[in-house]
Amino acid sequence: MSEAGHWITQVGNYSFNMDTLVTMWAAMAFLIVFSLIATRKLTLVPTKIQAFCENLMGFFWGLVDSMIGHEGRKHIPLVASLFLFIVTANLMGQIPLGVIHLKHGELASPTNDINMTAAMAIIVLFYYVFAGFKKKKLKFLIHDFSFVGIILFLVELLEMVTRPLTLALRLFGNILAGEILVSALLGMCAYFLPLPIMFFELLVAIVQALVFTMLTTVYISSAVSEEH
Amino acid sequence: MAAEAVKTISDFAQLGAGIAIGFGAIGAGAGIGIATKGLMDAISRQPEIAGKAVGFFLVGAALAEACAIYALIIALKLSGMIG
Repeated sequence: MSEAGHWITQVGNYSFNMDTLVTMWAAMAFLIVFSLIATRKLTLVPTKIQAFCENLMGFFWGLVDSMIGHEGRKHIPLVASLFLFIVTANLMGQIPLGVIHLKHGELASPTNDINMTAAMAIIVLFYYVFAGFKKKKLKFLIHDFSFVGIILFLVELLEMVTRPLTLALRLFGNILAGEILVSALLGMCAYFLPLPIMFFELLVAIVQALVFTMLTTVYISSAVSEEH
Repeated sequence: MAAEAVKTISDFAQLGAGIAIGFGAIGAGAGIGIATKGLMDAISRQPEIAGKAVGFFLVGAALAEACAIYALIIALKLSGMIG
């Protein structure tokens, strides 16, 4: 929990938040092992885990098809890995990782660290800007040399700052607020009082991952769509 | 003495944190209220779309709630709990 401060390691001029780094690698390892197991023996009649993954893939196809269209399926690798990673990372915050004692801070969800969410938001920014340039060349930024065209260009430049900023702060703030709420309720009464909020946090974890993914899809869609 | 209690910058920062989260929560509360009203209207008119409407409602409510979260981040920053 970042309320208790981070476990910081200095390497040269850079400081690393080791607690969230450890949980980030744990989430990635879980996802890699899960997908290896799920795709090991593919059969025509799916096993339970394969059916689950096929349903998940169908969900992503539906999301991208409804927002971008059929050719948007080439963006699924980014969208799907963002969703899976954020869901895993958010749900990790509900596991009582605090039982592992560290010198400073405690193990928490990786999305509880603004560096993690900001990194993901900046990746999304670069991705949709490059996708727009690839599809529409320079017309992505410069529509026409009229007064309205110049105003639109300035607004789009502003959006390139506000979009990643809000993406990062929304996810970070929601997870951090959940942790602080639970710890505040723990301070009032340690038994049963935080339980409803912890259940609510399970919902928030999934909804926030969905919001991040949907907004990413919307940004890509607005970058590659023909008419503005 | 009340005049002496609020003297340093950090005392004012605590006050500002309270004001920030208070005003921030007004907008988010109103927004989620309007979203819930829209959901109820939609479901009572067309009960068969309830499942689909709840999905959109959750995403919209999360977006409205995010505004309060921004205020919360500012409040936490002012009161020195993060960063």
